[in-house]
Amino acid sequence: MELKLCNHSSYPRIGDDAEHQLLRRTIAERDRGEKTDQAVRAAEDRMTELALAEQQEAGLDLVTDGQIRWSDPISHLAGKLAGVRINGLLRFFDTNFYFRQPVVQGKLERTGPLLLEEFNFAQGKSTRPVKVVLTGPYTLARHSIEENGGAGGFDKMLEGYTAALAAEVAALAGAGASMIQVEEPALLKHPYDFPRLERSITALAMSKASAQLALVLYFGDPGPLYDHLQTLPVDLLGFDFTYSPRLVDRVASNGTARPLVLGLVDGRNTRLEDPAVLARQLEKLALSAGLNSAYLSPSCGLEYLPRDRAQQKLEHLAVIRNTFLGSPA
Amino acid sequence: MSRTKLQELGIDLPLFPITSVGSFPKPDFLVKARADFAKKKIRRGALEKAERQATEFWIRTQEELGVDVLVDGEMYRGDMVAYFAENLDGFEEGGLVRSYGNRYYHKPIITGEIHWVEPITLEWWKYSRGLTSKPLKGVLTGPYTVMDWSFIEYYPDRRTACLALAKEIRKEVEALIEEGAKIIQIDEPAISVRPEELPVAIEAMHIVTDGLPAYFITHICYGAFENIYPNMLDLPVDNFDLEMSNSGLDMLELFKKHRYTKDISFGLVDVHTHVIEGEPVVEQRLRQALETLPEEAIWVDPDCGLKTRTVEEAIAKMQSVVTAAKALRAVTSTK
Repeated sequence: MELKLCNHSSYPRIGDDAEHQLLRRTIAERDRGEKTDQAVRAAEDRMTELALAEQQEAGLDLVTDGQIRWSDPISHLAGKLAGVRINGLLRFFDTNFYFRQPVVQGKLERTGPLLLEEFNFAQGKSTRPVKVVLTGPYTLARHSIEENGGAGGFDKMLEGYTAALAAEVAALAGAGASMIQVEEPALLKHPYDFPRLERSITALAMSKASAQLALVLYFGDPGPLYDHLQTLPVDLLGFDFTYSPRLVDRVASNGTARPLVLGLVDGRNTRLEDPAVLARQLEKLALSAGLNSAYLSPSCGLEYLPRDRAQQKLEHLAVIRNTFLGSPA
Repeated sequence: MSRTKLQELGIDLPLFPITSVGSFPKPDFLVKARADFAKKKIRRGALEKAERQATEFWIRTQEELGVDVLVDGEMYRGDMVAYFAENLDGFEEGGLVRSYGNRYYHKPIITGEIHWVEPITLEWWKYSRGLTSKPLKGVLTGPYTVMDWSFIEYYPDRRTACLALAKEIRKEVEALIEEGAKIIQIDEPAISVRPEELPVAIEAMHIVTDGLPAYFITHICYGAFENIYPNMLDLPVDNFDLEMSNSGLDMLELFKKHRYTKDISFGLVDVHTHVIEGEPVVEQRLRQALETLPEEAIWVDPDCGLKTRTVEEAIAKMQSVVTAAKALRAVTSTK
């Protein structure tokens, strides 16, 4: 099994020293009327460069922009669409992190690129391929509410988000994105909605051109849906292995029809995993029928960790891979 | 209502006892003192003097408003979990992580065996008690929430960490009771986010409260109550202090489906909006509560701690709660 290393999605946009507090400081100054939006964008650029550099230093094969510019995984995308206003704070799954809830007031429309500029900037600053991360249409719809008739019901809202993100996938692929990751953690809370997700992800897959499309699930056990997920028209599947001790065995016994993103390193806790334990899990997974290549990854975005610990987790990926391969770290 | 238990404890409360969740906003002079202390411009003694002054301000304010069960206002606390982590052995301060938007906090890391070394909140409770003759709640963050909002390096799993915390937090409860506290609130805002772990939270709450002579309240907010109700009623407490208004009182629908069996501190005002709900709105919320819950079971308060509001907003919101409770008391007493 070929094993590459990748970041999952987000990366801390703050650290404990002054250099890494540039963005927080600049936003606070902007909010007090002392700095401009342009200054905030410059700070975002700088923090993105630092996030990219730390991922590259950790030896990752595939990096992200760290989602440095994102307020949260929901409102950053939904808030750019026509037909949406952004409301108050709600807890994001079982974390102590809060997102702003989209309120859909009418037909959802993509009136311009959502992430294209962010991707172009990051790819221009990176020596490694940059994976683009999109919160998926189903998860966006599940975290939205409607008012004044909204989009016309949940399914219409899902269709609206799907159409908007399909157009974005096409634009990103056209701009040279080689890997587009669609995140659908909400499916694990509503597994009965698999048919809805299937329709939505199929629409996105039809827009991806030559880019690879990865469907990534986290904050739950995908085991009960595993065989269904294998039927989806995506190039990679990614899982969070921290919620079920049985998932490794399930993957090993059921096999896979496509490469996997193996979220074995806990992105929610600072404790560093025993490399020998994870190497043994990789050995099991390597025996899965059809698993010829995989990415070793954190289980979720690293924004839930302090910066120094996030960096350690990324560096740990190489240690684990080396242990798996039987060579010294 | 656990009136009998309260009476056995020597506490006589009116209909719709008025309380607050725990925190109040820090007055400007305390905000400045905390900033100066962080920059090492003033000594700890000067900071504590400002904290005492602010505590006295809120005790007096609650008395003037007509609150029945007071809190110390938590003028000496920053984050509700970090404060306890800083005062228990076994924790280290972690680096900054994001809470939302441009807000960050230092998330604690459990790096060793957790030990309660000495009373954490007791001196503040005693100080506040000396300022009022009204009942005063002891307010602690619960073991499940401290566990969930910390990184866990020392313990092998979340349950083990949670139960270890429960054993140590019980010592703080015992210290408060020994000093005379009779109403103790264990805040567990994280309890609803992993419904599958509710049994762990219940087990931990048993460790904290079993066999102790106090009226126990637990405060829960901003979660998916529908995922843990009615099983949450198995938590060994007398009163659930619940955020109700932010979610449009939708918990009442759950109570209609499955009878609510304990006392409730009913959140009558939303703490995450600058808007001061008018008296008719707040009174109507209480009337809606009365359609589903027995009047003797209802306490009233804001949805959550008021620390994110301005001093003026916090007082105005408390005033709305007080006015509604008194209006309904008058109506009920003339029935």
